[in-house]
Amino acid sequence: MGRYFIKRLLSTIPLLLVISFLVFMFIHMIPGDPAKLIAGQDSTKAEVEKVREQLGLDQPLLKQYGQYMKGLVTGDLGDSIRNGKSVVETIAPRLKPTIMLTVSAMIWATIIGVALGIISAVFHGRILDYIGMIIAISGISVPSFWLGLELIQGFSVALNWLPTGGLDSWQSYILPSLTMGAGIMAILARFTRSSMLETMREDYVRTARAKGLKESLVVMRHAFKNSLIEIVTVAGLQIGGLLSGSVMAETVFSIPGLGRLLVDSINFRDYKVVQALLLFFAAEYIFINLIVDVLYGVINPKVRYD
Amino acid sequence: MAQTNTNLENNKFAAAEELPKAKSRVKEFVKKFCKRKTAVISLIFILFIILMAIIAPLIVPYAPDQPDYSSLLQGPSAKHFWGTDEFGQDVFSRLMVGSRLSLSCALIATIVGTIGGVILGLIAGFYGGFIDSLIMRCCDVLFAFPDILLAIAVVAIIGPGMVNVMIAVAVFTVPSFARIIRSATISVKGSLYVEVARSLGCKNSRILFVHVFPGTIQSMIVNFTMRIGTAILAASSLSFLGFGANVTEPDWGAMLSTGRNYLNTAPHMVLFPGILIFLTVLAFNLLGDGLRDTLDPKMN
Amino acid sequence: MKNRKKIIAALLAGAMTLSMGTTAFAAEAEDGYAVKATNTEAKSPDNDLVIAIEGSVSSMDPANIPDTSAISATRGCYEMLVHFNKDQELEGQLAESWEVSDDSLTYTFHLREGVKFSDGTDFNAEAVKANYDRVLDPENNLRQRRNFIETADDGTETPRVESVECPDEYTVVFKLTKAWSPFINRMTQFCIISPAALEEYGNDIMNHPVGTGPFICTEWEEGDHTTFEKNEDYWGEPASVDTVTIKEVPEAGSRTAMLQTGEADMVYPMPADQIQAISGNDDINVLTADSNIMRYVTLNMNLEPLSDVRVRQAMNYAIDKDAYIQVMYSGYGKPATSIVPSIIGGYEEQEAYTYDLDKAKELMKEAGYEDGFSLTLWGDNSTQEIKGMTFVQQQLAQINIDVEVLPMEPATVSDKIYVDEDEAEVNMWYVNWSASDFTMDGSVRSLLYSTMCPPVSANTAYFRNEEFDSLLDQGLATADEAEQADIYAQAQEIAWEECPWLFLGNDELLYSTKSYLSGAFVAPDGAFDFSQAVLAQ
Repeated sequence: MGRYFIKRLLSTIPLLLVISFLVFMFIHMIPGDPAKLIAGQDSTKAEVEKVREQLGLDQPLLKQYGQYMKGLVTGDLGDSIRNGKSVVETIAPRLKPTIMLTVSAMIWATIIGVALGIISAVFHGRILDYIGMIIAISGISVPSFWLGLELIQGFSVALNWLPTGGLDSWQSYILPSLTMGAGIMAILARFTRSSMLETMREDYVRTARAKGLKESLVVMRHAFKNSLIEIVTVAGLQIGGLLSGSVMAETVFSIPGLGRLLVDSINFRDYKVVQALLLFFAAEYIFINLIVDVLYGVINPKVRYD
Repeated sequence: MAQTNTNLENNKFAAAEELPKAKSRVKEFVKKFCKRKTAVISLIFILFIILMAIIAPLIVPYAPDQPDYSSLLQGPSAKHFWGTDEFGQDVFSRLMVGSRLSLSCALIATIVGTIGGVILGLIAGFYGGFIDSLIMRCCDVLFAFPDILLAIAVVAIIGPGMVNVMIAVAVFTVPSFARIIRSATISVKGSLYVEVARSLGCKNSRILFVHVFPGTIQSMIVNFTMRIGTAILAASSLSFLGFGANVTEPDWGAMLSTGRNYLNTAPHMVLFPGILIFLTVLAFNLLGDGLRDTLDPKMN
Repeated sequence: MKNRKKIIAALLAGAMTLSMGTTAFAAEAEDGYAVKATNTEAKSPDNDLVIAIEGSVSSMDPANIPDTSAISATRGCYEMLVHFNKDQELEGQLAESWEVSDDSLTYTFHLREGVKFSDGTDFNAEAVKANYDRVLDPENNLRQRRNFIETADDGTETPRVESVECPDEYTVVFKLTKAWSPFINRMTQFCIISPAALEEYGNDIMNHPVGTGPFICTEWEEGDHTTFEKNEDYWGEPASVDTVTIKEVPEAGSRTAMLQTGEADMVYPMPADQIQAISGNDDINVLTADSNIMRYVTLNMNLEPLSDVRVRQAMNYAIDKDAYIQVMYSGYGKPATSIVPSIIGGYEEQEAYTYDLDKAKELMKEAGYEDGFSLTLWGDNSTQEIKGMTFVQQQLAQINIDVEVLPMEPATVSDKIYVDEDEAEVNMWYVNWSASDFTMDGSVRSLLYSTMCPPVSANTAYFRNEEFDSLLDQGLATADEAEQADIYAQAQEIAWEECPWLFLGNDELLYSTKSYLSGAFVAPDGAFDFSQAVLAQ
């Protein structure tokens, strides 16, 4: 397994190269000229040209990519064209809020979602199953910006229990994390339920039950354990989306995170920052799913790595 | 060449033999399905919404794009029973007509994405090795690309519109399906009946589509019904970010997104689209559950 | 000649009354208030001012500023030689007084003595000159350079200022190459940065602001917040509040919530849609201020149907401007009455294109477009802009003009607008303009002067009228106010008759404060001023 892990880790390098190239071409294809944005609406053509030259945007695209890669190898990601700070300096302070939010959202959503799924499966077709279903469907059919605004109205304005935004205290993480996790909770609950229903009908679970094992033991040790592969897959997919998808919660709760930085940078055509962020998201996503693939083997020894 | 022929003949033969059986199977399926009341109700609801999508423009009380600046943002009343929006347009009429755009977008995007994702997932999970790596790494590339950027790029390059929302949603449905179906395939692959089929000398493609694929249907149905919700909301999220579809034609997601500005002053603007989306997604999920249970041979 | 113009104070007071009193709030409003707090005894829990704003403080370099949020923030720690006070009167700030020679060519500023920058450097004539030299240096590529340079049609540049001299430590003399009336107005945007800090940081000065203002900038975290603390050694009346935080809160609902919970003491802008939401709170004021914002839609006159003035007039008649103000701004604004808002110097009211569908249809028929035609409408993709575009689409549908609304990201719009004329795809552009110097020239030259068509500037109507051009040039050359007013009145009339735009409206600025906050306000140019803010304790 160790070898498999290293092999996969190494295989991410060409993958990231491909992504970096695609991203580079993609964002330069989007219309919009950062030089014009910097110089201002009322700037003259000469002034815009000058800015373009200073930013190196007058070079052919492939040459720009080459220079970018050269910088990347030496650890230089370039400077943000908005504030002149280096890309690392621009991204670094934004990491903590987004990661904290992602992790906290993931933790509660996994626990509640999986629990809800198990309960629904165990009480299949009964009232608890439907309640679980309704909670899950609410989670998926409510857009997060709306949920966030409602939570602010309820918990901040009406009850005055929690702050409306910012990240000054641990309390301020509660509402955004609830907002971000709702959808994942819903998806996990649904998948856990369906997967559990399936495994609970498998022969070995029936056998276990026939042997007179306690129902809770049957559910947890036999059925749940075998549903884990699917649950882990779905969870892994969700984390990947969370990091870049946090833009809604970050906007509603005015949190200076990576999601908002990405949108702002795209709007400003701050190419270097966009590139760095996308590479970061890609690496993070690939890494998490690598862990998921490794976990397959841990959960189910029947899975072979090749 | 010869081999293909025999195959064809075999298939014909098999099909002929199965014909009468299939008919009774359908009957049995319908009978079993009808026993599940929630699923039946859901199906009726979905059919009703689809019917609405088709005939709504003919029967709604107001034209969906008919402004009335003298009655802006009014709550539900006898005249407008789901109230009016920021242009004085009738919310009920807009929602009914909007079902056309929302449903067709969500369904088409999800179906296209599902077909692509399922095929890739099956192949990757079943064959493993290099093909698996290739498919999964391609999915990684797709997935690692934040949807916002794709949406911006699509809108910026082709211009805003519902088709672009569909493209974005479909593209993002593929990798998640591929991964989920792949993992289901991996677990099915190890199961007894696949081993048996293999030892009986069945061809790979037959094992794949006849034996493995049915084993993944459960995951597929759940993911599909969940994605419908996501797809309807995708229009809403894109509209929140300013990359909405056609702004003058009503759709549920966009209505929800504009409604957020009136959350305190005209809550009916989010309430009704919200309820409608909730019920539709719920109906699709209940229907999915019903289908799943009916299809499951181990259930009675 | 003492130069102390009262530019618009009278207009400001008069224009506060609303032209449409249809909303309940507008009806009960007092001058300047949309909603007045009933609880006037409220006390602030702390002495830290928090202002929640929609936009982004995108730069802290006062010589290179793109938007009003950044202007507002930089004014916390930077000052100018002259500025507009709360009543929009021109007044000395770092200059105690100034004189203009009779030929309008020489401006002499007498500087305040004993002023120090927050890094301890002395403020003097040399500091002013150092800042001017920095702005003018083309290598620095600063936006403000455009204020002091005249660019001819062929791209050659001539400085507007011939020389800057410092006869003694506290006197600065600006000599102009030719008479240029907006000079003193432009000086209200010319901030003085510590020359020592400029020496040390160069163009990275935006990350290390050092000025003479009542506050010292302690942190500028682009895209989130900017913080200031009180400058204890300020030369004037020291600030009352201890710290100021400008927090960027993009979502309108969240900004309103912050005001309700007391996390913010002031929010700007306050969308008109949200006003009703705070009606349950008794300690919140919603205030209005007249603005220099002109909202309009440009009509590309190169297009076949739009080249006919009857069609353009018909389109203006087809738009219900009162409904526009009601739908878009809940009544807080007024229909456009000229090509510039009434607050701009030289404004002259024109005869309104009163909403008249019959007249519009008749004009369309005369022009041979009874059955209408199709057009696209471009604009930014913010919620408000999309709403405005949808409104225009609905209105023009009444005269059979089929409008396709195409909201785009600002960067994409600008990319598609600023192209050579033979590649231009623009039909109509839903846009707005605010001239930060409040002059007629600043308001219309880059939008309607014939050489300002894209890619040079924003004349997307491709409006070319020699008479109009020459009137604008005459206006710029004279310093005589009466003569200038007469010239500009003629220019307005021409453009108004020709209808290069759909004239929509001028909305009011809306902002809200906790009732215990006083002294902080939003100026007509959209910048907020917190230097005199007081939180009642």
